This record gives sequence, structure tokens and C-alpha cells, in this order.
Amino acid sequence: MSECRHRWEMANIQFGFVVFEKCSHCNNLRTYFSLEDTWDEYREGDCQWSIVENAQTFRFDLKCRDCNRLETFEDLMGLLYCTSCQPECEVEVLRKKFEAEKTWILVAFGFLPRAKTNPIPQHKLDILTDYFNQRRDTSRSKVKIVSFNLIGDLLSRCRGEFIHDVGMLSQEPEERKPLL
Amino acid sequence: MTTKDVIEKIGLRSLSKFEHRDVDGVFVSDMLSDVMAGAKSGNLWVTVQTHKSIVPAANLVDVSAVIITSGKNVPQETIDLANQHNIAILSTDLPSFELVGKLYGLGLVSS
Repeated sequence: MSECRHRWEMANIQFGFVVFEKCSHCNNLRTYFSLEDTWDEYREGDCQWSIVENAQTFRFDLKCRDCNRLETFEDLMGLLYCTSCQPECEVEVLRKKFEAEKTWILVAFGFLPRAKTNPIPQHKLDILTDYFNQRRDTSRSKVKIVSFNLIGDLLSRCRGEFIHDVGMLSQEPEERKPLL
Repeated sequence: MTTKDVIEKIGLRSLSKFEHRDVDGVFVSDMLSDVMAGAKSGNLWVTVQTHKSIVPAANLVDVSAVIITSGKNVPQETIDLANQHNIAILSTDLPSFELVGKLYGLGLVSS
């Protein structure tokens, strides 16, 4: 087993778009990363997919500066900030628990629907947490990145905020809609 | 140099409640993804964006302050969120280009 303490840095950065598309036939939602700003509608069997959101984002891997270990994050859709929308949500429970330690909770989302059955593994979330803490002055505060699976059945009512470049130009505060 | 020094020397307005801290360099961008990829701890983040999402982005990468340029009106929900998390939101009527010139004049550079 490696004894390297790993000092992570971003590698293989690609700027692009996270695309949210919905089927008018089965009402399913799916998301994916695209290098292009696409708004195409298309048919796939009985499904008719239309894009409902398209946000500028980026994807990256993490590489250790010392041992060159590469950890890929092609399955990371984005990070979500908890807005305390549902007191019974496990993320909100964790947020409150860690608040006193000045530790921010962020929720990592994988691409849907795959992430519902194959969430981002815990060891990758730990590496992400380590990476963002290595980038900051942890004597002031820390971050902790958890899986969106903690939201569980409350996902359809979640009003958390993705840290994505979407809706950034609106001057009018919008009523917060459910996330998915 | 600290956020207090920068505020006083350039005449910035403080919109949120925060503790002053050391400043280390400047990052200029209006894209959150750009900031998440490239900003460094202690940077001053110069932007025209005022959406509340700037607060978690600023916190994630540990910038020392967000400076909103061109006199943009900052929504109260952005300020409230910043207050909750000790994030410095500053503002100026200067456009980004002029502000960056002044920051450079103080000896701050991109890092």
C-alpha cells in the first residue's frame, strides 16, 4: 500500500457543459457532460428527449504531485450547496453537526440516472474533500464532500444550489424550484 | 496586506459581515467553473456576478474576498448567505479593468 500522503492537483481540465434532458414519454431525467453547447431534441425508441437545462461547467481529474497517482472524476456532475430546505434531510443533519467545527458540507452529484445505482465511491469523495481542503487555509474552515445519496427519497424536493454557471445573469431572484 | 488594507486604500464598500484576513493575489473571472478550477486560497476574486452561487464558490476555494465591480446591485439573499458563512463581499463602482489596475498598483498580482 502506498505511503504517499498525496498532494492533489487538478489535471485533464476540460471546460464544457452539463446537460439536463428530460423525456416527454417516460418523464425520466438524465444528465451528461458535453464539450459543446447543445440544445438538440431527439428520439430514442419511444423516448423523446429534450434539454431542460444546460450549464457551463468543467470536469477534471486529480493527480498526486508526489507519486503521480491519477484519480479520475469523469463521473462527477457537480457540487451542490445545501440550502437547509428540508430539516429531516441527512445532508442538513450533517450540515448542522459540522457547523460548529466551521466545516462546510457540499454534496457531490454523479450523472443521472447511473449515479442512482452507481454513486461516486466514498474513497473518491474523500479524495475530493482532501483536495479542496489542501487548497484552503484549514485553520479558518474546512469543507466536507458527501454523496447525494444522503438526500435519498427527498431528492425530488431538494432545493439545493448547484455551483454551476446557470441563471447567473438574472437580476431578479427566482422562486427556488425543486432540483430535479 | 489584508482585506482591511485593500478596502481602505481603494475605497471599497463592505456589504457583508466578515473577519479581515490576509490577501494573496488576485483572480479575475465571471465564471464559477473558472474560479473553482483556478482561484487560490487568499485570492481577491474580482467579478461582476452577484448571484448567490458566488458565495459557495468563494468558500469552496477559500478566496479572501469577492469584489463586485461596476456598481452592480448585490441581491440581499447573496449578502445574507455571505453573512452566514463569514464570506467578504465588497463592492466598487469601478469597472473590473480599473479595479485590477489599482490592485496591481498596490503590489497585488495574479497568483
